Amino acid sequence: MKSSTLHATLGRLALGGALLLGSTALLAQNKPVPMDKAEAPKYGGTLSIAPVYYTISALTWDPADWNWKSNHDMGQYAENLFAADLSKSRKYGGKHQFVADAYLPLDAIRGEIAESWRWMENPLRLEVKVRQGVMFPEKKGVMAARELVADDVVASYNNLDKSPKRIPAYFDHLAKVEATGKHTVLFTFKDYFAEWDYRFGWGYYSNIFPREVLEKGAKDWKNHNGSGPFMLTDFVNGNSTTFTKNPNYWDKERLGGQEYKLPFVDRVIYRTIKDEAASYAALRTGRIDMHENIRWSAVDELKKNAPGLKWSKTLAWSGTFLAMRVDQKPFTDIRVRRALNMAVNKQEIVKTFWGGNAELFAYPQHPDYIGYFEPLSSMPDSVKELFTYDPEKAKKLLAEAGFPNGFTFKVQVNANSPVHMDLLPMVGAYLEKVGVKIQIEPLEYGAFLSRMTSKTHSAGYFMDNGHTNPTTTIRKSFVTNQTWNPSMWADPALDKRVATMYAERDEGKRQQMLREMTREIVDKAPYIWLPTPYTFQAWWPWVKNYDGELRAGAVRPGPIYARIWIDQDLKKKMGFK
Amino acid sequence: MSAVIAPAGAPPAAPKPAGFIRRLFRDKPLGAAGGVVFLVFLFCGIFADVLSPYGMNEINPLDRLQSPSWAHPFGTDNLGRDMLSRCLHGAQLSVIIGLTAASLATIVSVVIGIATGYLGGKFDLVTQRFVDAWMSFPELIILIVVVSVLGPGMPQIIGTLGLLLGIAGSRIIRSAVVSVRENMYVHAAQSIGSGTFRILWRHILPNIMPPIIVLFTTRVGAVILAESGLSFLGLGVPPPAPTWGGLLSGSGRTYMFQGPWLALAPGLCLTVVVYATNVFGDALRDLLDPRLRGSR
Amino acid sequence: MQAYILRRLLALIPTLFFASVIVFTTVRLIPGDVIDLMLSQNDISASKMDREALMEVLGLDKPMWSQYLTWVGSLFQGDMGNSLWQSTPVTERLAERLPVTFELGLLAILIGLTIALPIGVYSAIRQDTAGDYIARSFSILLLAVPSFWLGTMVVVIPSIYFGWSPEVSYISFSEDPIGNLKQMLVPAAVLGAALSAVTMRMTRTMMLEVLRQDYIRTAMAKGLPERLVVFRHALRNALIPVVTLVGLQAPLVIGGAVIMEQIFGIPGMGTLLLDAVNQRDYPIITGVFLVVGLAVMVINLLVDLSYGLLDPRVRVRS
Repeated sequence: MKSSTLHATLGRLALGGALLLGSTALLAQNKPVPMDKAEAPKYGGTLSIAPVYYTISALTWDPADWNWKSNHDMGQYAENLFAADLSKSRKYGGKHQFVADAYLPLDAIRGEIAESWRWMENPLRLEVKVRQGVMFPEKKGVMAARELVADDVVASYNNLDKSPKRIPAYFDHLAKVEATGKHTVLFTFKDYFAEWDYRFGWGYYSNIFPREVLEKGAKDWKNHNGSGPFMLTDFVNGNSTTFTKNPNYWDKERLGGQEYKLPFVDRVIYRTIKDEAASYAALRTGRIDMHENIRWSAVDELKKNAPGLKWSKTLAWSGTFLAMRVDQKPFTDIRVRRALNMAVNKQEIVKTFWGGNAELFAYPQHPDYIGYFEPLSSMPDSVKELFTYDPEKAKKLLAEAGFPNGFTFKVQVNANSPVHMDLLPMVGAYLEKVGVKIQIEPLEYGAFLSRMTSKTHSAGYFMDNGHTNPTTTIRKSFVTNQTWNPSMWADPALDKRVATMYAERDEGKRQQMLREMTREIVDKAPYIWLPTPYTFQAWWPWVKNYDGELRAGAVRPGPIYARIWIDQDLKKKMGFK
Repeated sequence: MSAVIAPAGAPPAAPKPAGFIRRLFRDKPLGAAGGVVFLVFLFCGIFADVLSPYGMNEINPLDRLQSPSWAHPFGTDNLGRDMLSRCLHGAQLSVIIGLTAASLATIVSVVIGIATGYLGGKFDLVTQRFVDAWMSFPELIILIVVVSVLGPGMPQIIGTLGLLLGIAGSRIIRSAVVSVRENMYVHAAQSIGSGTFRILWRHILPNIMPPIIVLFTTRVGAVILAESGLSFLGLGVPPPAPTWGGLLSGSGRTYMFQGPWLALAPGLCLTVVVYATNVFGDALRDLLDPRLRGSR
Repeated sequence: MQAYILRRLLALIPTLFFASVIVFTTVRLIPGDVIDLMLSQNDISASKMDREALMEVLGLDKPMWSQYLTWVGSLFQGDMGNSLWQSTPVTERLAERLPVTFELGLLAILIGLTIALPIGVYSAIRQDTAGDYIARSFSILLLAVPSFWLGTMVVVIPSIYFGWSPEVSYISFSEDPIGNLKQMLVPAAVLGAALSAVTMRMTRTMMLEVLRQDYIRTAMAKGLPERLVVFRHALRNALIPVVTLVGLQAPLVIGGAVIMEQIFGIPGMGTLLLDAVNQRDYPIITGVFLVVGLAVMVINLLVDLSYGLLDPRVRVRS
């Protein structure tokens, strides 16, 4: 972000940077190649992908439905104001892997539709200059080809804001959004809000559509159109989504010292494959070129039977834990909660349950959140204690809290998650050794989720929760009454601190606040914190200019796929069609 | 169609047990083998607690994914649990689910089938409409609704599968009854004024025994298979209950390369038992059919 | 005959009504309601106001009977309402999936019959010979292996040893009939194999029954060739319960074979239903039920009518 705090931010990055390189120790078999030395790309071919969410198709095509997955599907052809600066990727020697599901580090954001922007005070306003010459392709029956203008940005914003399904309070920080010129959009803020660029910028609900599409009706995917590198040409619900090259796309990429028009491939196809084993079979036989979400237990076999594949791994983008309702006995007592943490042998879980493919401590902040994440080694002793297996100490604490013989409590778990159904009994086995028994109640996913939404869940609640980004991860789980707050954490002081944090304009200060809040909440142990596993990505060597990046916005891989090129000769040489 | 002349009112001769078993082994060796397997299955199921060397859910992370050995004849799973013990307990679950649901299904099929097939008329018409309505629902949706409303668990699955398979199977019994009731000796019995119940009990029922037996045995296998399919879809008896279907569709599929025994053990158990019940049922049918006896 | 058909068709109406009411209400019994699921997509809050607003948008705030009447009313206009999640018409979604499932089911039943009938007849006329045993054993073996396992093996093993896996992209029949058939053949074969076992045994059982009948023995004694006896007399009568059985497999044709669809990536009715239930998309669930119900009832009607063709006694009695 072009602001004066950039330098201060970079200073703080030194802390996080070294930690990042240590903690997310990548396989490092794919050596970084600076952009000016990269191979000369070729045009053409089809990229067939099993994306991160390969088991589900688009849930809806209407942006007014405010669905989290829309960005993933629409982000190939609809662009945002901002997106990731992919030149900062690790594959070019930069330090970002771009795998976080809804986070872009401040030093790696560039303007996509936005060419430049500046803040103005009194009142607080953001003036965004829209890039000129960006064209919407012709869409038969909907619109002729034309230039993207500020009105489209405003129309897209209003479409979201006025939708009956909107998330309440999501755009509350904005007083007005208007077009003050053909290529100028003016956002008038009520107050500064730290997540402003995430909320409408590069986040989940930030797609810019032409006015005509919104007027014609965006419910029907056949009406969709955008300024992006691809165009939506086919959708077979439950099977595949096809995107075809936009021949008049505005963006270029500099590789090997030369500038190239984007995109390189002719088509991108998302495959929806409901069955995991079938998805790996498709990868093995080259029916799909890349797979973004491979479970650790399948890696060895794939490496053996498809030795040509290239690999990358990332820490999962959600934390696993057993939430304890702090509004119910015995979990009102922090000693009990800490004791349960000490009773579980988390190191053994990493080694045996995850086969070593997990990290002990990667939630609520994700190690990729440079400047926000503090590794366990730099945490205070009382936090470290929670991750040290000590059943004797646990029993002592329980006795102190009045439970020398332990107690029993109910834990609800999602019956549709085989991983959870295996992991929970394992946790239960550890707890039993200190006298605490759990009664497992498996619930079908819909029923399970609604217990939490209606706040009628049991004292123990076993789940995954997405990190999203460094600010949201604390807000959504620990601010009073939030939907994803299963421990029923209600601390008005924390709520105030979160609000203060949101109003803080200096990123360095925000990072410090979040680090403190994270430290404290981990220490207070509303959950039994559990290890976070790795997931793996694999692709065939003919997929070039790709090193396992996943998102250039909130769940948005569009710009990444635009920069991939296929070496069709190599593919033929390797024996695949 | 000509009539089968048989003395009206003569019940089929009750087979003497010892002679029956001898005939089974002599004439139907495959079926006999199936029967033996079935008994072994029942035995394992009933005495699973005693026979298992380890607990059903003894998590032992350090012993995970060990291939079969003397200590663990079926190996261990990804949490270090002994597969032999889990399969034995799976047998217990299969015995309970399979036999209970199959019995329920068969009783339902027979009651509905006989009532509608024999009585006919308005009763038949109305019941058939009801059966149609019920059967037009894919099993799956009913199971999901039941499982979702009452929560995943064994009684729900047994009850639902029993009812579903029962109502579906009633049509087979009904068509068999329809075929039988046209036979002359039934008409004869009716004409001499035998009560309905007597006719049902002495003439209809014995003559539809073959399809009933076949139905029951296929139901046992069908229920065990259905539960395995449900497990695959995430609707079966929830873990850690080690149903064979759950083991096969869960850790069996996930770790099929690292630990093939995780799939082989429950898979073989499942296949062998379903195979055995079917083969045994076939043999029983062949031996019990009154019209086949004596025509050999 | 015509009066009979008419009566049956008229009888469908109360059945459908009855079924639709049951479906409509029970589907809403599933805990974890759609509002909760939708609100959980939003990570901010699920206050009472949001619930009410959302319910109003979806039309779920009205009493059950009112919603039902609205639904029935729109049915007569050929409208089954809109998906709660996608806001697209339910009829569209059904129209996408129905032909796919129908094709898969039809192929599966045909393959099943192709396997089952010859083996069943053969086993019956060569009862207790080695051939009978082998044929029966093989067929029972097919039955005894869970279909999802068979499907998994068919997908996974060839991918390792032969470098082949099934086509992932769904090729529609209109686009490329050969390609489509090639793609559907594998899952249909796996499904058909499982179906064939039950059909084969029933065929064999009923053939045996019929072959014992005196009129068959008479015909044989008269010197009629075996094939003539078997096909002209025995098979026709043995077919009644077999036809019943095929009729029973009808929900599969329409309702979808979810497991095969999942493993082979066929976008059919089964997965539509499963997804809709997981998401509590009531209009789709009720829409699928209605279509499946109607189709199955029609198929059953056809089955019953065929009894008349096959067994004259039944025709006379009715």
